[in-house]
Amino acid sequence: MISRRTFNRVIYSLVTLWAAITITFVVLNSLPIDPVDVWAREYVIQYGYTYEDAYEMVKAMYPYKLESPMWVRYFEYIGNLFRGNLGYSMAFLCPVNEIVVKCLPWTLFVLSFAITISFAVGCLLGMLAAWKRRGFLDAALIGYASFTHATPNFLVAILLFIFLAARYRLFPLGGAYDPSLKPGFNMAFIGSVLYHAALPILSYVIEHIGAWILLMRGSAISVLEEDYVRAAVARGLKDKRIMTAYVGRNAILAPLALLAITFGYMIGGSTLVETVFRYPGIGYFFAEAVSRADYGLMQGLFFLLISAVIMANLVVELIYPILDPRVREEG
Amino acid sequence: MVKLRERLRATYYDYFKPILMNKKAFLGFILLACFGLMATIGPIVVPLDLTTKWAERLEPPSLEHPLGTDYYGCDIFQQIVHGSRDVLLIGSLAALYGTLIAIAMGIASGYLGGKVDAALMGVTDIFLTIPSLPVMMIMAACFRVTDPFSFSAIIALWMWAGLARSVRAQVRSVRSRDFIEAAKVLNLGTPHIIFKEILPNVLPYIAINFVRMMKDAITASVGVMFLGLAPFSKVHWGIMLQMAMSMTGVAYTPWGLHYVLAPLLSIMLLEFGAVLFANGVEEIVNPRLKGYE
Amino acid sequence: MDILKVRDLVVDYLVREGTLRVVSGVSLDIKGGKVNALVGESGCGKTTLIDAILNTLPPNGYIRSGKVIFKDVDILRLGEEERRRIRWEKIAVVFQAAQNSLNPVMKISEQFVETVLAHRRETKEKILERAAKLLEMVHLDPAQVLNSYPHELSGGMKQRTIIAMSLLLDPELLILDEPTSALDALTQSYIIGMLREIHEAKKQSMLLVTHDLPIVAELADRVAVMYAGKIFEVGTVDEIFYEPLHPYTAGLINAIPSIYGDLSKMRPIPGNPPSLLNPPSGCRFHPRCQYAKDVCKRKEPPLVDAGGGHLVACYRYSG
Repeated sequence: MISRRTFNRVIYSLVTLWAAITITFVVLNSLPIDPVDVWAREYVIQYGYTYEDAYEMVKAMYPYKLESPMWVRYFEYIGNLFRGNLGYSMAFLCPVNEIVVKCLPWTLFVLSFAITISFAVGCLLGMLAAWKRRGFLDAALIGYASFTHATPNFLVAILLFIFLAARYRLFPLGGAYDPSLKPGFNMAFIGSVLYHAALPILSYVIEHIGAWILLMRGSAISVLEEDYVRAAVARGLKDKRIMTAYVGRNAILAPLALLAITFGYMIGGSTLVETVFRYPGIGYFFAEAVSRADYGLMQGLFFLLISAVIMANLVVELIYPILDPRVREEG
Repeated sequence: MVKLRERLRATYYDYFKPILMNKKAFLGFILLACFGLMATIGPIVVPLDLTTKWAERLEPPSLEHPLGTDYYGCDIFQQIVHGSRDVLLIGSLAALYGTLIAIAMGIASGYLGGKVDAALMGVTDIFLTIPSLPVMMIMAACFRVTDPFSFSAIIALWMWAGLARSVRAQVRSVRSRDFIEAAKVLNLGTPHIIFKEILPNVLPYIAINFVRMMKDAITASVGVMFLGLAPFSKVHWGIMLQMAMSMTGVAYTPWGLHYVLAPLLSIMLLEFGAVLFANGVEEIVNPRLKGYE
Repeated sequence: MDILKVRDLVVDYLVREGTLRVVSGVSLDIKGGKVNALVGESGCGKTTLIDAILNTLPPNGYIRSGKVIFKDVDILRLGEEERRRIRWEKIAVVFQAAQNSLNPVMKISEQFVETVLAHRRETKEKILERAAKLLEMVHLDPAQVLNSYPHELSGGMKQRTIIAMSLLLDPELLILDEPTSALDALTQSYIIGMLREIHEAKKQSMLLVTHDLPIVAELADRVAVMYAGKIFEVGTVDEIFYEPLHPYTAGLINAIPSIYGDLSKMRPIPGNPPSLLNPPSGCRFHPRCQYAKDVCKRKEPPLVDAGGGHLVACYRYSG
């Protein structure tokens, strides 16, 4: 029932996931210092435990036994993953899963808005730029796109933060919503959520829309030179029809192929953008984990990040044949 | 003697003149050259004084301090100049490592084909899928990074994958072209084929990607340093940015603005220059992409 | 009765090296109800001429002067919307390598339907009915073709599909640019037979543009010979093949290999076609012509009637 191609893709994704986890595991277990010791001391200072107690505590936070050789630890770790145990956070003293449940929705919310807006608007503008070549629109868009493409998204975030949030107080300084409001499906809460998400979303969109514009423009220019567009004009089809059904549908295939990579890139960027805005998503907590050397949280969240990227890749792979019949399997 | 002059002339016409003619490439080149100069002779000409001078903290730009002073009273302009060396060093090293790995993988994969190709591409895809910034952060946090060479290596590790794929595609298309068949028939040997036939066709493409990779490496290095993870250089713009943003409320007050903007705008300008140059050269090589000239 | 008249058409292309004058003052009469042929080597300007008629020139192409008169109206002076209506309804063009003329992401049926809907209001069912009939006329299976995507059909099938699509709106003039190039010999003869059927069935006026003389011999009634952007000779197919007047035409005819194979009689034309950036002075053929005289190098020969409507541009017959 499932096509062979889909099956292959799924297997391939799982293999990639496995490889990524393994690499991370190896890296985190080849640390030149002993993290258990480091954290044990930390707890001694912070919470006043005895060193021995603290040491035992930290050992228990790992999803595998630390005395076992590497490959035994590895299997225990994989086993735990299958059971849904992502590990324990040393800095926050709670299971990673708890943190994930709280922060994952925010990141997904912001990223889906950001990707959708930048892709849709970007591709539309790109196509318009290609259609009306050598016009003012084309020049302006290329200029804008080149400039923003060069700027990393967290730098845009910093600028937005400084000017719109910190100095002129047009936007909030952080958080996902106004803490005085109760979460629920009321207007005030939703409004506050959108208000707080505006700048993060804007950071991604401002920076990345340029890339879509350039990509789509390039793709549309190629398509415009194709014989079938010329033939469509000769058939007397209206401009609007040619723009949508001929240029649009064909030109969008190229940017679409890069949608998954974009998602990966944005997830990576979320580590910094969310830090700038103190927005409590995965990126923010991951950055926290890294800067505080919280290896448990690091490992757990990284697994999540990779899974999200791989899943996004898979989804795009599966959508692509729907739009491009040349790639479909015959049936 | 005449031959040398001819050669130089040819080089000028082939390589420099097109850059002069193309607006983007030219502007990009100027920007890159400025920063390049800053990085090479800047630190020799401009001194670096990092002693703390509390009395002169966070002063706005003036004649004495063209970009103002930072939280410790040190001149920002000096730090930018000295930092440019670190930034460009890490950027180009990472791009160099990354490009070399990508070329090796791409050519091997594209030329040898078959199982080798499948295996290498599998590895490439894995590196391509893993989000680069988070994994660089993990590596920087786990292995104390103390010098630019290892840092560049960490960065390059996660940047080669994209270029490798493109190189492979190019190699495959060139490989099946007729003149390769001719070379094979003439028994010219594999190294000859690779260096004399395939490489010259792929070279401009690689150059464009080197500059782009450098830009991405700079972004990555700034990102990692922004979280305070690789503090081996006191004046890298990433570290400057991190200190500027984390030092008590600098962003919120009008006094600290120049401290944040200096490294930020420098990074933006440098990367913009790189992108312009790369795009411009790409236009030269592939004139269809021109927009409004 | 002339269905289309081209008068002194001049078309330029702007390229990096300068201005390429691809069509230099071409005048042509296309007779209704007959198969007209335009022959010439690749690069002589034939395709540009067609592009100019329908205004499907690429962005760097410019029509500098001239008229294209279709039913007493100069269609070059028409507005965009009126020109769009003429396309396909009155004049249909089947381009070279028509295999790439179909949108790869749309089903064939959808492409038939949208073609009609761009010009008239009709129900989908009626359109598909007519499409099926036309596809049968070109010996294709409608059920299979209509439900397919272009990449699922062979080159020959796509070619025939486009020819069927060209007749969808019953155009008054059907222009075919190299309908048989890029196809194997068997399919070629198939297509030629098909074109002949179409012409005979409705006395369809056709303009056949090609460099392939044998097809012209089989299908055409009248032939015009084009070289380096100029018309050298116009006549009936018999006149051109048996009594070619212009040295270029004679050269072309002599260059056709005969199946009876006396290769010693086969003579290619010496030299190369001229660059259109810097065409030769006077008669453009003079560098390759064995009869070239002084006047040929100085002035271009006018197109004159050498008797009974057989036109030729050569000083051997004029001045």
